[in-house]
Amino acid sequence: MKHGFLDRYSNLDSPLHGLEARTKILGFTALVSAVLLIPPGAGWNFFVFFLLTAILIGVSQIPPAYVLGRTLLILPFVLLAGLAAALGGEQATQRLLTLLMRAFLCLGFLVLMTNTTGFAELLRGLRRLGCPRVIVMNLGFLYRYLFVLLDEVLRMRQARDCRRVGRGPAAAELKVLGSMLGSLLLRSFERGERTYQAMLARGYAHDFPVMRPGRFTWRDPVFLVAVTAFICLAFGWKP
Amino acid sequence: MHIPDGFLANRIAVLLNVVSAGSVFFAARRHSYDAAARAIPLMGVLSAFVFAAQLLNFPVFGGTSGHLVGGALLGILLGPIAGFLCMATVVIAQALFMQDGGLVALGANIFNIGAVPVFSGYAVHRLLARERKTGMRAVTAGFAAGWISMMLPAVSCSLQLSISNAIPLAVGLPAMAGYHAIIGIAEGGLTAAVISFLARVRPELLKEGASVRIGIADWAGALLLVAVPFGIFVLGAGSDLPDPLETVLEAVLGPAGERGTATVMPASGRLLEYMGLAVFIIGVMAAAWLAVRLGRGHGHRQ
Amino acid sequence: MNEYAIRITRLKYSYPDGTRALDDVDLDIRHGERVAIVGPSGAGKSTLLLHLNAVLTGSGMVRIMGQPVDGGDIRLIRRQVGLVFQDPNDQLFCPTVKEDIAFGPLNLGVPPAEIPGRILRALQDVGLDQSIGGRSSHHLSLGERKRVALATVLVMRPDILALDEPTSNLDPRNRKHLIELLSELVTTLVVGTHDLEMVVSLCPRTVVMDGGRVVADGDSLSLLADERLMEAHGLEVPLSLQHRQASQA
Repeated sequence: MKHGFLDRYSNLDSPLHGLEARTKILGFTALVSAVLLIPPGAGWNFFVFFLLTAILIGVSQIPPAYVLGRTLLILPFVLLAGLAAALGGEQATQRLLTLLMRAFLCLGFLVLMTNTTGFAELLRGLRRLGCPRVIVMNLGFLYRYLFVLLDEVLRMRQARDCRRVGRGPAAAELKVLGSMLGSLLLRSFERGERTYQAMLARGYAHDFPVMRPGRFTWRDPVFLVAVTAFICLAFGWKP
Repeated sequence: MHIPDGFLANRIAVLLNVVSAGSVFFAARRHSYDAAARAIPLMGVLSAFVFAAQLLNFPVFGGTSGHLVGGALLGILLGPIAGFLCMATVVIAQALFMQDGGLVALGANIFNIGAVPVFSGYAVHRLLARERKTGMRAVTAGFAAGWISMMLPAVSCSLQLSISNAIPLAVGLPAMAGYHAIIGIAEGGLTAAVISFLARVRPELLKEGASVRIGIADWAGALLLVAVPFGIFVLGAGSDLPDPLETVLEAVLGPAGERGTATVMPASGRLLEYMGLAVFIIGVMAAAWLAVRLGRGHGHRQ
Repeated sequence: MNEYAIRITRLKYSYPDGTRALDDVDLDIRHGERVAIVGPSGAGKSTLLLHLNAVLTGSGMVRIMGQPVDGGDIRLIRRQVGLVFQDPNDQLFCPTVKEDIAFGPLNLGVPPAEIPGRILRALQDVGLDQSIGGRSSHHLSLGERKRVALATVLVMRPDILALDEPTSNLDPRNRKHLIELLSELVTTLVVGTHDLEMVVSLCPRTVVMDGGRVVADGDSLSLLADERLMEAHGLEVPLSLQHRQASQA
C-alpha cells in the first residue's frame, strides 16, 4: 500500500529543496523566533513577513492550497482564543489578531521547512546539530515502520469489519479495540525483535553508522545571510 | 493538545524548551546503550506504534471519537525513561511530519504530551499496582493511569496558555479539562484493555517493564521535573515578568513603542484595504512560483 | 584449505519459552554448493539459518570456513555469511535504501570513501537502477524490496549466502527474475523454502527437516520425487517432477 501523506512534496525540485538540511533548520527556526518577537499591533512587520512567506511558498513550488489546509490544524486553539476574545473588549480582539497572525506565519514556515526537506536529510541535519542519537535513531525507525504498521492496522480493521454486524455496546467495542491494539503491539514487539536480528546479522554492535555528511553549496550561506538580513531589516527599518 | 507556535508567551516557551531539552539529554544519557542495544529497534517500533495508533480515530461513545494516546501505556511497558524518550520522539515526529504543534512550542509539547503523561501514568500505575503486572489490580491501575495521563496534560496545557495571555483559565481549563475527562475514560479503558490482553497472551512482556530499576534519585528528578515548571506557572500566573527575549530585543533596537507601530493595525474596518493586501501577497506568491518554474525550463535538469 | 564452507555438528537450540527448535542437527556443506532446506512450517529452517552467523547460538558446534562461530571473530563471521530474511520489512530498517545498503559495510569497517561505489555495484548486481538509492523502502514494491534486501547482503561480499523464503509472496515474473539472479551467483547458497519448483531449478542438493531434525539429505531430484518422503513431512512432489515421471512411465 502507498502512503504519501507524510512527505508528499519533499522530493520536488526547487531552490529551497536544494539547500542543505541544517541550513533550513537554522534558517526557519530563526524566522519562527523572529515572528514570535513581533510586537502586538506592528502591522508593517507582519506584512513583510507575510510577503516573505508568500515568496518562499511560491519559490518552493508547494501548492498553496496544501499549506492553507495544514493551517486548519490550529483551529481548536483559535476557537478557544476567539471565545476568550469575545468575552474581552477591543484590546482582546487586538491580541487575538496578533496571535492569529503569529500562528499562521509560524505554521507556514514549519510547513515550508518540513516539506522542502526529505525526512532522511532532516534526520541527518538534526544529528549534526547535536540532537541526541537515541532520538534520531528512534525517529528513523518510526518513519520506517509507521507505514508497515499502518498496513497491518488496515488489514486488522478489515478483518474485524468482515466479522461483525452492527455495533455492540461501548464497553464491548472498547474491549475489541483493546485486543486489536494489543495484537498490534505484540506484532510491533516481534517486529522489533526480528529487526534487531537483522541488524545483528549485518554486524550491528551498539552503534548506528552514519553515511555521508550533507554537503553545503554556495547557496547555503547565501540563504542564511539573506534570512539574517531580512530579520534585521524587518525589525530595524521604518518605512 | 499540540500547542501551535504563537500561542505561548516567549518566556514560557523558552523555559519549557530548556526543561524538555534538559530532560531529553538526561534521559538519553541515563538510558545506557550497552544494556539497551536490543531495546533500540524495539523503542523505534513502539514509537511507530504510538504514532500509528494516534492516527486512527475510532468511534467510541455516541458521536465522539477517541484514539489511544499511549503515554501511560509506554511508561508502563518500557519504564519511565525509555517511555519518555519514545513519546518525545513521537511529538517531534508529529511536528516534523504533520506540523502538529509548533517549532518553538516543541519544548512545551514534549513536556505536556511526553513527560507529564509518561511519568504520571507510570507513577500512578506503580503506586496502585505495586509490583503486580498482571491480574485485576494491574488492569484497574492501568485504567487510572490512562485517565490521569490525559487529565494532567490538559491542566498543564491550559495553565500555560493562560499565563501566556492567550486563553484565560476561566475558558481554557473547563474546556480542556472537561473534554479530556471524557476522552480520558477511553484512554484509561484502552490502556487497561491492552494490559489485560498482554497479560493473557504474553505476560512476560509486562514483566520486562517492571524490571526497570528506579532509584530514589530518579524519583526525585522526575518529581522536580514536573513540579518546578508547575510551580513557576502557578507563581508566575499573576506576575508581569518582562519577557527575556523581548528585553534583549529592546536593548538592541529600542523600546517596542518606537518600533514598527507606525501603522497600528486596527481590529476592525478597512476591509477593502485588507483585501487589496491579500491580493497583492497572492500575486507576489504566484510571481515567485512562475519565476522558478520558468527559470528551471531554461536550465538543464538533472 | 578446508573443504567445507559450513560444518554443523550436534546443534541443539530451544527458544526461551522452552520450545525445542533444533534437535541434534548435523550438516556439512561444501564450498560453492547450493543447498535447499525444506520441510513443514515450524521444522526449524529459519532457526537453523539464524545460527549460521551467530544471531542465535545453541549448543553444539557451527563452523564457518573451518572457524567455530562462538569464540571466533564475530565480525568476520558476519561478513562471510550473508543472511537474507523472509520479510524484507525486517531487513530494511533505515530511512533510505542507500543507508540500508551501507549499514552492513559501515559496521564491518569498510572505509566510507568506498561505500558509494559498493552501493552502486550491489544495486547493479540485483538488477536495480541506482536512482532507487535515495528512495525510502516503503515506496518500493515487494519485488523491489526483496531485491534491495538481497543487495544489503551482497554488498558485504559474503562467501556464503543464506536466504529464508526468498520467493514467498512474489508474483510469477518477479519470482522468475529472483531465481535467475540467484542462479548467477557464485557463492555457497543455503535456501530455506517451501518453493519446491525453485529448488528443482536452483539447488542440486536438498535437506529435508522436520521437528528440528534432519530427516533426509541428498540429491534434489530423487528426494523431491519420493512421494512417501514428501507426504510424510507435509510436502508435495513438485509438478515438474510429476510430469517428468509421467513421461518416463
